[in-house]
Amino acid sequence: MRTKLQQQIAFFIFRSLGLLVIGLLFWILGFIVYHGAGVISWEFLTTAPRDGMTAGGIWPALVGTCYLVIGSMVVAFPLGVMSAVYTSEYARNGRIVRLIRIMTNNLSGIPSIVFGLFGMSLFVRTLGFGDSILAGSLTLGLLVLPLVIRTTEEALQAVPATYRTGSRALGASRWQTVSRVVLPVAFPNIITGLILAVGRVSGETAPILFTVAAYFLPQLPTSIFDQAMALPYHLYVIATSGTDLEATRPIAYGTALVLIGVVLCINLLANLLRRRIGKHAHKS
Amino acid sequence: MKTIILFVTAFTLSVLTLSAQRIKGSDTVLPLSQQEAETYLKQNPTASITVTGGGSGVGIAALLSGTTDIAQSSRKIKFDEREKLKAAGKAAKEIIIAYDALAVVIHPDNKVDGLTREQLADIFMGKITNWKEVGGTDLRIVPYSRETSSGTYEFFKESVMKNKNYMNGIMSMPATGAIIQSVSQTKGSIGYVGLAYLNTSVKALKISYDGGKSYTEPSVANAKNESYPIVRPLYYYYEAKSEATVKPFVDYVLSSAGQLIVSEIGFITVR
Amino acid sequence: MSTKKLRRAGEYVIEKLLTVSGAVTGLTMLTITVFLFKEGAGLFRSPSVEKGYALYVHAENPVERLSVNEIKGIFDGEITVWNALSSDYPHAEIVPYRIEDIFQRYSESELGEDYALLPDKLAEVIRETSGIIAFLPQQYAPTGMTGVKTLPSQDIRPADFFGGTSWMPTATPAPLFGVLPLILGTLFVSIVAILIALPLGLSVAIFLSELAGTRTRKWMKPAIELLAGIPSVVYGFFGLVVLVPLVQRAFALPVGETAFTGSLILAIMALPTIITVAEDAMRNTPRELREASLALGAGHWQTIRKVIIPYASSGISAAVVLGIGRAIGETMAVLMVTGNAAVMPHSLFESVRTIPATIAAELGEAPAGGAHYQALFVLGCVLFLLTLLISVSAEWMAGKQSSKIL
Repeated sequence: MRTKLQQQIAFFIFRSLGLLVIGLLFWILGFIVYHGAGVISWEFLTTAPRDGMTAGGIWPALVGTCYLVIGSMVVAFPLGVMSAVYTSEYARNGRIVRLIRIMTNNLSGIPSIVFGLFGMSLFVRTLGFGDSILAGSLTLGLLVLPLVIRTTEEALQAVPATYRTGSRALGASRWQTVSRVVLPVAFPNIITGLILAVGRVSGETAPILFTVAAYFLPQLPTSIFDQAMALPYHLYVIATSGTDLEATRPIAYGTALVLIGVVLCINLLANLLRRRIGKHAHKS
Repeated sequence: MKTIILFVTAFTLSVLTLSAQRIKGSDTVLPLSQQEAETYLKQNPTASITVTGGGSGVGIAALLSGTTDIAQSSRKIKFDEREKLKAAGKAAKEIIIAYDALAVVIHPDNKVDGLTREQLADIFMGKITNWKEVGGTDLRIVPYSRETSSGTYEFFKESVMKNKNYMNGIMSMPATGAIIQSVSQTKGSIGYVGLAYLNTSVKALKISYDGGKSYTEPSVANAKNESYPIVRPLYYYYEAKSEATVKPFVDYVLSSAGQLIVSEIGFITVR
Repeated sequence: MSTKKLRRAGEYVIEKLLTVSGAVTGLTMLTITVFLFKEGAGLFRSPSVEKGYALYVHAENPVERLSVNEIKGIFDGEITVWNALSSDYPHAEIVPYRIEDIFQRYSESELGEDYALLPDKLAEVIRETSGIIAFLPQQYAPTGMTGVKTLPSQDIRPADFFGGTSWMPTATPAPLFGVLPLILGTLFVSIVAILIALPLGLSVAIFLSELAGTRTRKWMKPAIELLAGIPSVVYGFFGLVVLVPLVQRAFALPVGETAFTGSLILAIMALPTIITVAEDAMRNTPRELREASLALGAGHWQTIRKVIIPYASSGISAAVVLGIGRAIGETMAVLMVTGNAAVMPHSLFESVRTIPATIAAELGEAPAGGAHYQALFVLGCVLFLLTLLISVSAEWMAGKQSSKIL
């Protein structure tokens, strides 16, 4: 009897705490949506900030984030996929593979601000790129490299070994097997990883503080050596500076909502994709 | 895939084009530079200007490393910064574009109306810790400061604290807007902001630099007639060699149209 | 024949290319380490007084060396007599002097072309003022002139750096680089955050894995995973506009920017990670164990408490460690809500300053290559090592979990 009561109490606590936490997390979302929804308009998305950031929109920040996403993917995607292919399809030496795996594992634990320090030291100063889209993209690219590698490796390992042995038995070389058989099968999963990486990159602030971010650009960047505005940094700036915080607040809410929207949509897309692939795999 | 290739080509092609005119430095000057750039670009749609903040020290360091064309600063260039520039073979040209009065702000419910320079210095050095010591209610004083980078931090230290250091572990805010926000929310708070940032959510103190004989409130008029003591010039620094590129913009800032923006934002015009 | 050769050559190239990219990835970590340490390495060889400057006293002054704290005390007006420094000097009053002061006495033109006469004028001032301590740029200093004594400069000591309790990187003449408050502040905020997040996260994990129906779990789990993707700057913004005033009002505090506010926002941020990892660990409990327990007559709660949680414990501890690791490195959210006062943390309801926030707020301003810049890179190294330690121990714990499956 006592244990029954105990169980009821414990379960009640868990259930209510569980609901509380879920509620809390959705409160945050709801709060931003509630305050930000009224601000979002076509004009907000497609015009530049005006009147000392108290009016206008976030177009240059959106574009800047786009550039950074593209730039960092150009860095991370080929490098990540290639090294994942190497470790899971090519490397025979277990020690090297283990070393790379340990390295990437630890790399993913390094705080993003440390990447910012590193990017500033190597790309901005040592290589002389200055504050630029190039430096920012390289820094962000390295930041998501472990993520790309891990998802690609998982994707490759999900390809049944019989596919490989079958292909090799038919006389295909290792590279033919990888490029014609393994990669096409793993491709959707690799793309899912890529999308996740895009989501991560579009929300990061700390690594771009010293490598690319600009407070205000009246024009869109025209070269990879230009600075760019970016959504997360823009939110940070308009949340903490500006001459008239009261007037800027709505814009901050709007920016936060757009940022969340972008990141959540990207992640949702990856989720859906993953689920569809999962279903397909079960059928076959 | 096609779009990616397109973007990449666009990137590489555009590397060849000239980079923009860059203004970097003080967050205090930032809104001014930004507005000036906005209107200037309306008249000269072909020009290109980037404005970034980070602090006066950042701007001057960037001038030294050649990553900016104009350094905006809310303090005079330091002796050793000038020496460093000289050592790098650069000569910095100095232009005063506006003046700014620093207002000392407190929570609107606070009864204290004015403070002397000495009292202010003691508060920020941590020697006075309760409002009742300066004629207020029994409430802990919470001083808010800017981050160490800002010219505002340095100027306040020089002018009010006579170069003494701030108390250990003062609350430091990354930007002036954050100071206004915190001061308006915190009962015992005190902070300093540029006149341009002043709004109704905080209360500006009258200041006395003559030991309490006369108190003046911060306003554009009082700053202009020099009765308000905490006033500083705002500067643009640029390398003498790049004068030709930056001159049109600097001239615009100093023109009557540019100075109109100065007073609209809440700074004090040069003339 | 030749196409076959060509293909073989192509394959060889591709294999090498893949090897190289694998190696590059492996080396990234090494490069990061090298650059962090490279930039920070000069710190303990920089003089404790600002670079390019030195301190000068009257030749008859017997003082030999001053510690960083003594220098700060002197220039802050806290130490006013030479006798207080146990140097037996009859002219008791200390007169701090800076280079700017000379311009009040002489106009620029009186100092000659390129300040040629500056050293002589400074020497004159020092000879006149017996209690003087002058902080001057070495380039214009009256080094070696009669009546002037240069105080020997010392390097910044690791003991002062790691053991110092005040962080005043821009104090002149001698900046104070005591990182202890920053390190402790970081750990303090992160650990409290986990203490808040752990019970909540575990409850949700138990709820999800044991109590909730399949349908609830099906939408809730991905939803929570999605929340992990919200950018930290958004959490920071939320903290700034909601939590700071809330904490201030709820606890009737003088300020809302406290360590507790930081911990709260970090806890909220860590929750999705803890929930997913802990839930996975619990659901991985082998069915036989669970059924054996139930078959022995144990209740559901007893099974959870006595079987599932112990089984999942190493997975849960990995989640905790991972959570701490993320919290320690979190920058933007903490920068926006903790008030950033560099004090030794002694209360939950006082402001603290963390390492990432310090780097984010100060790196932009620090003159590149200077002592302050180097100090921030050393802080980066500290942060790097801390997180490395944490991810290695998380791996070790997760390894324990997998080896448990018999």
